[in-house]
Amino acid sequence: MMMLDLKDLVKDFGGLRAVDSLNLSIEQGQILGLIGPNGAGKSTVFNCIAGVYPPTEGEIFFDAARINNVKPWDLCRQGLARTFQIVKPFTSKTVLYNVMVGSYVTTDKRSAAESKAVEALKALNLYEKKDVKAGNLTIADRKRLEIARALATDPKLLLLDEVMAGLRPTEVDEMVKIIRGLRDRGITIFIIEHIMRAIMALSDRVVVIHFGQKISEGPPKEVASDEKVIKAYLGEEYAVS
Amino acid sequence: MTRAKLQSLSLLLVGVIAFGLPLVVRSPTYLHILVLLFLYAYLTTSWNLVGGFAGVLPLGHSAFVGIGAYTSTVLALQYGISPWLGMIVGGCLAVVVGVLIGLPTFKMRGAYFALATIAFAEGIRVMVENIEYLGPFKLNGPRGLQIPPLNTGLTNFMFAEKEPYYYIILVMLIAVLALTWFISRSKLGYYLSAGGEEPEAAMALGVNVARCKLIAMAMSSFLTALAGTFWAQFTLFIHPKSVMSLDVSFEIAFIALIGGRGSIAGPVLGAIILRPVSDLCRIYFGAKLPGLHLIIFGVLLILVMIFQPRGLQEPLTKLYHRFLDRMTTQPARAD
Amino acid sequence: MLYVLEDAINGILIGSIYGLTAMGLTVIFGVLKVINFAHGSLLMVGMYAAYWAVALTGIHPYLSLIVVAPVMYCFGYYLQDIIIKPIFKAEKDVREPITVIIVTTGVWYVLDNLSLLIFGPQYRTLQDNPLRGKMLEFGGMMLSVPKLWGFVTALATAAAIYWFFQKTRLGRAIRATSLDREAASLMGINQYRIYNVAFGIGTAIAGIAGVTLVPFYNVFPSVGVLFDIKGFIIVVLGGLGSIGGAILGGIIVGVIESVGPQFMAATWTEAIVYALFLVVLFVKPSGLFGVKYDW
Repeated sequence: MMMLDLKDLVKDFGGLRAVDSLNLSIEQGQILGLIGPNGAGKSTVFNCIAGVYPPTEGEIFFDAARINNVKPWDLCRQGLARTFQIVKPFTSKTVLYNVMVGSYVTTDKRSAAESKAVEALKALNLYEKKDVKAGNLTIADRKRLEIARALATDPKLLLLDEVMAGLRPTEVDEMVKIIRGLRDRGITIFIIEHIMRAIMALSDRVVVIHFGQKISEGPPKEVASDEKVIKAYLGEEYAVS
Repeated sequence: MTRAKLQSLSLLLVGVIAFGLPLVVRSPTYLHILVLLFLYAYLTTSWNLVGGFAGVLPLGHSAFVGIGAYTSTVLALQYGISPWLGMIVGGCLAVVVGVLIGLPTFKMRGAYFALATIAFAEGIRVMVENIEYLGPFKLNGPRGLQIPPLNTGLTNFMFAEKEPYYYIILVMLIAVLALTWFISRSKLGYYLSAGGEEPEAAMALGVNVARCKLIAMAMSSFLTALAGTFWAQFTLFIHPKSVMSLDVSFEIAFIALIGGRGSIAGPVLGAIILRPVSDLCRIYFGAKLPGLHLIIFGVLLILVMIFQPRGLQEPLTKLYHRFLDRMTTQPARAD
Repeated sequence: MLYVLEDAINGILIGSIYGLTAMGLTVIFGVLKVINFAHGSLLMVGMYAAYWAVALTGIHPYLSLIVVAPVMYCFGYYLQDIIIKPIFKAEKDVREPITVIIVTTGVWYVLDNLSLLIFGPQYRTLQDNPLRGKMLEFGGMMLSVPKLWGFVTALATAAAIYWFFQKTRLGRAIRATSLDREAASLMGINQYRIYNVAFGIGTAIAGIAGVTLVPFYNVFPSVGVLFDIKGFIIVVLGGLGSIGGAILGGIIVGVIESVGPQFMAATWTEAIVYALFLVVLFVKPSGLFGVKYDW
């Protein structure tokens, strides 16, 4: 069952075509990695899916429903959650408060929201810090908070935007474990990442985009040895013909 | 004694003092000052729903005060309708206007929003100043409306002494504070703060930020309009420069900001600190040094924003909590 | 018909002066991204400075520019340095520095009421200044001479400011900072000094505007309030950050004010200006000439 389906997605910003006829799909329960050099258009894809702006052309299907012009908050209610590349915690509020904002999507009652938030915090190993002000967290913890918040909304599909950036190798490994745990709960995951070891470890399949176009797709090992991908990242000289 | 019990006790104490004050303070002048204090505490707490929780800076709230005041007064003078009923009608009218103002303005960012609210409020004031009649309703332009102090009594919302006014506004204030407390712990409260602090993140978490702000605006404008009616019935004379002026809008915002917007106690604390300054300055220095209280407000505002941007309630609340801690760690004594 | 033309031209003249009063606001916004709510009060200070300079020495009002402009520059420079800079530093990561708006509102209150305390509420005018009441006849119309002087000053100031920002090193540094403060500071530009300079310039412009107004306008403590509000309107109409836009926006307001009373009661023209302001805010918030910001 296709959880997410992008058909010929195009996004123009004035004269600049950021995403060019992108076709992509994710099956339920899969982890799809999206990689590409900086400026390739990855975050733009996420923003189109998440309803931040509508696509210029093309269709986006989430759980078999067309979601081209649906607003972010409605998407969240339908089960599509996302994190931001530059994390946006509610810095003046506690960690628990932050996550409760997410869990309130599933309920109107304070007690239910609180227990759901606690669940999400435990899944991300953040429970001990639940009363810490978000503004006082380290960057690694802020990234986990970002995911915990999204998790609390009970998503079917989770878009993770460079959640590993700035983490030390041990932190990356821990995050990989956590994300695997999320998939094991049945959440479909679409992840943008630069850190190769994370993408290789997590993804079932990888899509590579460059200048807004898909240049490669397949299991991680295949993509990593794809000549086109190497050229795109490292330049002509490194391609082994 | 547990902390929670001590907290409830201190609240109870405050309540007892508030209700008992008129028995001790007999001078009408001071009672008048207290009534105005509670009125402004009420106004700033209502403002806080939008200006504090929603995180925007509305600087035109006096428009709602004016709407409330004029609606109930016109209905009472021309049609003999009880001001209590007029109060509700005024509130509903304010909600309509508030939502109409909010719909386009909440999309704007901070400074533009503030400017737009000023423009709306001033526009409404100019309109009222220039119109004698709005349809069948006599507004009397800049000369304002006077309420003849003929029939006193609860149904007419008119009293000869200050005490009844005192209790009415006190009850209103407590109601608004309770409402604010309630909201802050509810889904709407969480959504409002989230939307005010990081709107993009909030939207991605299922918060319809614009709609929440509108709800807050609707509540705030309704409550503010109620105060307008109270104002009219208390002072018995309203005109655009008094109930709808920019000065009133700014004073409300300043008090909330100095006290600490976004918190529950902040606006009230601000009113308690600033209103007496305002009134006392006017009484003692009014002739020689006019506008002294405004200078003090301005300086206080600047100092607070530089050193305590969350308002004076922050250090005061910390002190209070430290006091509570001290009281509860005292060993239980045999007596 | 001639009356309408005469009104329109006078409207353009006073409008350009309005534009001048708003120019400082737009410069400060363009660089600091902050709407200075105290701007009207700064104008008021400039007017009092010009008034006293002339009243005490008897010189021609426009000569007082020599004193007023530098004094106002310093005033603005240190106002930014002492009062606003701390807030800026505290709110470095906040997207919209609302606290600065609040603080400048506080400055507005303090300045207005201080001058009420010090100078008293009476309206002051420069009775015997050489420009007062002079009219120039032109094609059957009577044009106000002091306003003509103001018109020329406004255009000259606009040109000078434009030249400063485009051609001088400091001006370019200011523009760089306004576009990207972090990048600019990485290039060795001290962003806080830039802010001080920009604020100083904006205030100096307010001082110049004060000088142009003083020959024919009353001076009193709350004179700034009206100009403050009009200033916002003009700056939104013309586009925040655009110098030419400020002049144009001012002219629009000036013409509406002058021609309006021909067709409706004078107080309604005030309402029209507010209505126009709101329309522009909703339809094209970047104004007629403004740069599109991430609003």
